Amino acid sequence: MKNIIIIAVKLAVICLVAAFVLALVNGITAPQIAASKAQAELDALSVINKAGTIGERVEGDGAGVNYYFPVTDGGKVTNYIMSLTSMGYGGNLVILGNFKVNGEIIDAKLMEDSETPGLGKKAENAEYMNKFKGTGADKPVPVKKTMLESADADAVTGATITFTGVSKALEYGSEFAKKLGGQK
Amino acid sequence: MIKEFTKGLFKENPIFVIALGLCPTLATSTMVINALGMGAGVIFVLVCSNIFISLLKNFIPDNVRIPAYIVVIASFVTIVQMVMEAYAPALYAALGVFVPLIVVNCIILGRAEAFANKNKVLPSILDGLGMGVGFTLALTLIALIREVLGSGTITLPGCVITVPVISIAPMRVIAFPAGALLVLGLLKAFFQYKEGRK
Repeated sequence: MKNIIIIAVKLAVICLVAAFVLALVNGITAPQIAASKAQAELDALSVINKAGTIGERVEGDGAGVNYYFPVTDGGKVTNYIMSLTSMGYGGNLVILGNFKVNGEIIDAKLMEDSETPGLGKKAENAEYMNKFKGTGADKPVPVKKTMLESADADAVTGATITFTGVSKALEYGSEFAKKLGGQK
Repeated sequence: MIKEFTKGLFKENPIFVIALGLCPTLATSTMVINALGMGAGVIFVLVCSNIFISLLKNFIPDNVRIPAYIVVIASFVTIVQMVMEAYAPALYAALGVFVPLIVVNCIILGRAEAFANKNKVLPSILDGLGMGVGFTLALTLIALIREVLGSGTITLPGCVITVPVISIAPMRVIAFPAGALLVLGLLKAFFQYKEGRK
């Protein structure tokens, strides 16, 4: 009996020390992590938005749009930058997309993902989004591999689930932009 | 003493000879930069956990040693994860889920159980370093072969080298998980053959 208590106390001591050390490291790194995340979003916003003034952040619909920023040029809303969520292969995908009022995709960037390095992770490259640019209004957003040019279709081979996740999010964002239809 | 370091490099290489830690090996060997990042994480965690387990070997009760080791290892992995996310966010984003998976990397628990809890601190440090460097070398070799043949590139920190000819039509299967098994199997066969001829 006494032995069990000694074992339990020793294990508890190890856990307590470990928890204390982790809390200490967390205290040092947490502000840095928050700052670099905010900086990454700010960088991404300036990359995908070429013209106009980015307005106040508006909460999204809770389904696919986390939040969005209306972008105005001369008092009129020209496009929307949205933070979109969908499901990838390894977990949630968070995508920042820039949409014209008519739903056309101007640009997009994959912000957060847990995709497989070397396969789905390639969606983080800026070139990956080229196949979606200009779609959403006159042309539909390519949501199937058969809707892509053969070179683009080859490039997503092996990461079809990632492609579907990204395209569904962008399609949703495009529809959402049409629904907003120019209002702030 | 120096033997404790060198044995992990070739004679008892964790991947090719002991065949420990194959899961992260197969998963992170798609690009050279990932292999180097993963290797650095494993070396740090392996050396730190070996030091602490060697120091605590008389304090940790024998019948709860595995949970105690896991707590020590998991703490160091979490520290690596937080520090990496704060100061090297690009590497953290590239390695993703594989960083927390260092906790269950059999090499680390294996060295704690087989070496650090029976030896003094200095040999344990050397053992951890040797095993970690051996793991990194093997992982980088696999990643180099897979990236060159599978994607036609070599991704190093800060630059990407494109291999001429291969990059036009790379053997995609080598970049897939099946390719990882093929490359690992062939390399292991090669090292076995070399060993057998001695």
